[in-house]
Amino acid sequence: MRPSRRVPRRTPQIVALGGGGFSMEKDSSLLDDYILSLTCAERPRVCFLPTASGDADHYVVRFYRRFSAHCDASHVSLFRRDQGVGGVEDDLATHLLAQDLIYVGGGNVVSMLGAWRAHGLDSVLRRAWRRGIVLCGPSAGSLCWFAESLSAFHGAPRRVRGLGLLPYSNCVHYDAEPARRAEYHRFVAAGMRPGFAADDGVALHFRGTLLERAVSSRRDGRAYRVEPACDSVVEVPLEVTHLDPDPNLALAGGVNPAPDSSEAVAPGSAPPGPGAREPIGAAA
Amino acid sequence: MSTLEAPTEQSLIFAMGGGGFTMEPSNPLLDDFVLSLASARARLGPSDAADAPGTAPEGALHASTAGPARTSTTTREPRILFLPTASGDTAAQIAAFHARFADRHCVAEHLSLFRLHELRRPLEEIVLSQDVLYVGGGSMRNLLAIWRAHDLDRLLICAWRRGIVLAGISAGAMCWFEGGITRSSGPPEPLSGLGLLEGSLTVHADGEPERLPVWLAAVRDGVLPGGWSLDDGVGLLFTGTRLRRIVSSRPGASAQRVDQVAGELVRNRLAPELLGETGAPGLHSSVDEDVQELRRVQRLRRTISGPRGGRLGRY
Repeated sequence: MRPSRRVPRRTPQIVALGGGGFSMEKDSSLLDDYILSLTCAERPRVCFLPTASGDADHYVVRFYRRFSAHCDASHVSLFRRDQGVGGVEDDLATHLLAQDLIYVGGGNVVSMLGAWRAHGLDSVLRRAWRRGIVLCGPSAGSLCWFAESLSAFHGAPRRVRGLGLLPYSNCVHYDAEPARRAEYHRFVAAGMRPGFAADDGVALHFRGTLLERAVSSRRDGRAYRVEPACDSVVEVPLEVTHLDPDPNLALAGGVNPAPDSSEAVAPGSAPPGPGAREPIGAAA
Repeated sequence: MSTLEAPTEQSLIFAMGGGGFTMEPSNPLLDDFVLSLASARARLGPSDAADAPGTAPEGALHASTAGPARTSTTTREPRILFLPTASGDTAAQIAAFHARFADRHCVAEHLSLFRLHELRRPLEEIVLSQDVLYVGGGSMRNLLAIWRAHDLDRLLICAWRRGIVLAGISAGAMCWFEGGITRSSGPPEPLSGLGLLEGSLTVHADGEPERLPVWLAAVRDGVLPGGWSLDDGVGLLFTGTRLRRIVSSRPGASAQRVDQVAGELVRNRLAPELLGETGAPGLHSSVDEDVQELRRVQRLRRTISGPRGGRLGRY
């Protein structure tokens, strides 16, 4: 057997963001740094999938602004493959399975899942997860990992079947869109499986299929477990750890502690840390 | 699929091998031809359209979306909806569409399947209230997959049966046939379409010649049925499932019909009618200057108020 086939066994991990990360928080890289720390890689290989946005150029640009300085960053576009500008051009499966982190952007989850299936990415992502490649994303990039979720479109919310790596339902932007919250309650009460709801700025970190912890870039960020009870639902608040921007307090016990941002670091040799990134530009 | 969904003589599909507003910004001949197909439909008026065979259910939709009832002698503005799905709803394609149609005699809107949260009306109502559905180019594989994910393929077939004109370029043209040649994954390869029209289609025969040998091999080997190869600027007009006209926006552009007979390819060159010589499309090219001015202000206001300002993505 060739040495390259001996992939060390790593626990599958998913970080599902209710909202936030580089696309929504231009002044804070707390959530992205937390996710990067899970890869245990000095210079993580990070691949961005902007499918849910229709591979919007401005989204791809913002991804590179946030990640290219400290990671081997790449992206895969499923819409530009004929023009030779689809990011990675060779075998998508090989490329994705060689990553430390796959970052899925927000947008329309139904369109994204349809395009993924057409290119066989659904099964590739399942394999990536089993191999311990960290999977993450906000909004549609969160909903997709769960068995089912609620997506608001066509003027009315609809139940959407996801990849089902996590055997729960999911609701995002929980604080920002009150109507979505009410609809989610209605669906769970009516038989949608129990699940997790997260505010903007809150990340649900799963190891295997179990919730490891909930972290937030905001002091008031909340997350809940939502379960049916007596023809209605109960919201069980989760303990949410605020990711403090002070590097001395950040990630106590983490596998890849953030360096002091005032410390001079040689490019390419240091793990990512808060304050080490340049702020990204305003959304296009 | 096509055998179950019987089209009528009012069912029109216009499939372009290339051209239109995304590829020919200074040549409006194909797009005006598309509008002329819509105008013929709109001229029937809501009440008349409801009496036409196979179109009965949409009369009510028109009445509710096209404003007050008009007499049958008045031509209402045809409604044209752009579907930029195959490109991933790029802003450039959407802007080019509105640039082409904003000042023409029509109501031009676009539908983004990546920004559906902006919709305030059901997808079905939006799609079935149109006179033309214009499908842009890009990835044929993504186009069909995303339509299926949203159940839009079913709606489009429904629209076709009701006589709503289906027009499209490149991926947006091949999708109506049994199959086409896509570059969705890089190199050209055969891909099945919706199968509303019999045969296969390959596009950009002159602009992207690498598609042609792949298509010919697929037809010869029986992977795809025989069909048409179109140069940029050439369009096929089908009524029902029958090819009615072959038109072109460019002198010298051509089409060919290719079939496999006993393992051999039989190729027939087809000469399109050159548009712009018949005169008819010019009738629909412009609207009153004051209306143009009003629309410019509306576009500006929508841009300022942001994408959530409009129910549909209208510029």
